[in-house]
Amino acid sequence: MEYRISNSGGNAKVVFNGDITFSENVSFRQLLKDISEQNFDACDFDLTGVNMVDSAGLGMFLIAREQAETDGWKLTVSGAQGHVASMLKLTKLSDLLEG
Amino acid sequence: MTVISVKKEENQELMQSVFAARILIVDDMALMRQMIGMCLSRGGYENLLYADDGDEALRMVEEESPDIVVLDLNMPRVSGYEVCRTLRADVKHEALPILVQSASETPEERVEVFASGATDFVSKPINQPELLARVQMHLENRFLIHSLSDFRLRMQSELSMARDMQQDLLPEASSVEEIEAASQMKIESFYQASFELGGDLWGCWQVPGNRLGLFVLDISGHGVGAALNTFRVHATMARFLHVRADPAAFLTELNAALAPTFPLGQFATMFYAVLDYETGHLTYSGAGAPKPMVVSERGVRLLDSTGVPVGIIKKPDYFNLEDRLEPDESLFCYSDVLIEAPQKEGGMLGEDGLVEWVEQLSRSGDRHSLVSNLLKRFFETQPSSLPDDLTAIALHPDRG
Repeated sequence: MEYRISNSGGNAKVVFNGDITFSENVSFRQLLKDISEQNFDACDFDLTGVNMVDSAGLGMFLIAREQAETDGWKLTVSGAQGHVASMLKLTKLSDLLEG
Repeated sequence: MTVISVKKEENQELMQSVFAARILIVDDMALMRQMIGMCLSRGGYENLLYADDGDEALRMVEEESPDIVVLDLNMPRVSGYEVCRTLRADVKHEALPILVQSASETPEERVEVFASGATDFVSKPINQPELLARVQMHLENRFLIHSLSDFRLRMQSELSMARDMQQDLLPEASSVEEIEAASQMKIESFYQASFELGGDLWGCWQVPGNRLGLFVLDISGHGVGAALNTFRVHATMARFLHVRADPAAFLTELNAALAPTFPLGQFATMFYAVLDYETGHLTYSGAGAPKPMVVSERGVRLLDSTGVPVGIIKKPDYFNLEDRLEPDESLFCYSDVLIEAPQKEGGMLGEDGLVEWVEQLSRSGDRHSLVSNLLKRFFETQPSSLPDDLTAIALHPDRG
């Protein structure tokens, strides 16, 4: 997994690339820390470049959602396709994260 | 040199081991043996052993098991090189530190010393503080490596015990046979824990009214956390057997009990079905498990297992769906590693790919061996130890 954070105004966009799986746990937590420290109003996770997400990866989105609620920023997830989109739909996390 | 920082107490313990170490000093000259011995004993080492030639050194290594050897190179009968080579050829001594001391010191000689298996080198005349520093460093490394490999062995055996205990959560063969006999179904199952610990679980039980219940679940992530959660879920499930005839109610109760205690970011995807084996009527509810398949020679139908995984939110809206399993149809449930494992040609198999495999296999006839044939094909492209648990269960009607 690779990611790039871009910032326009108070809104951030994190563009992910590669797979989001169990082994990305540490870098994902670091990402959340980075986002929290920068006091954004909103952050969009762009998953267009993500091919695969496993259950641990979905868990990380849930952690991000909780972090957003605690810190008071808005998390959205966009661009999911293929396997990632079906996983989000199957687990209804699309309702929780995209809605 | 590797710098390994250890906590203070561990450090004290380590230094005690270092000074209690057995040191074998090998030199054909009595004066040199004496001098090295004196230097080490002044440095705090008490367990000193002496040999006056290579052959005696080899004998003493076998008999006395020293922790380090301080070795002269040029000796009349068996040289230091020979000692190094003999010791390294024996797997017992491949990690024994050998500190070679020699008067002549050409670059070629140094190369030969290390090529023959020495750990380190000090030149003669011996610089005493250097000798002490090198001996101490190699002994520290030796004891640290020992304690690390002890720790690793202990962890391995604990993990393997945990894997066995997890395996015990699965239905016993005798209870599966009972259900098979009562329902005239064949239950084909496969479960393989990952090389770490994982979080898969499946189970089946009888439900009053000629019915059987079957669930598969997968706790997110893997490792010790996921494995411990399977125990939590298994124990919690036992409390809700009174609603086992109603899949959605069962998931709802289970979720209500687990959601407050599940750590953030962890959850269980699950599928639970109740099958009336007289009529083939199937009632099921999903919590985000991979979509089960109804398989026959005509093809594959996917069951909708959409639902919020257990353990995330307080009130997910689980609902029952109805279907019918015809006598020539099997129900196949599996865990996500089957579709997510990387394929030889890159990418992953995916749900579509797996459906294609299952269709091919069921058309080829032997539907009752669907799971074993499918896994045979799966393991042709996968290493035998997987990064995640693998569960595959099929219910085959066996009437007539």
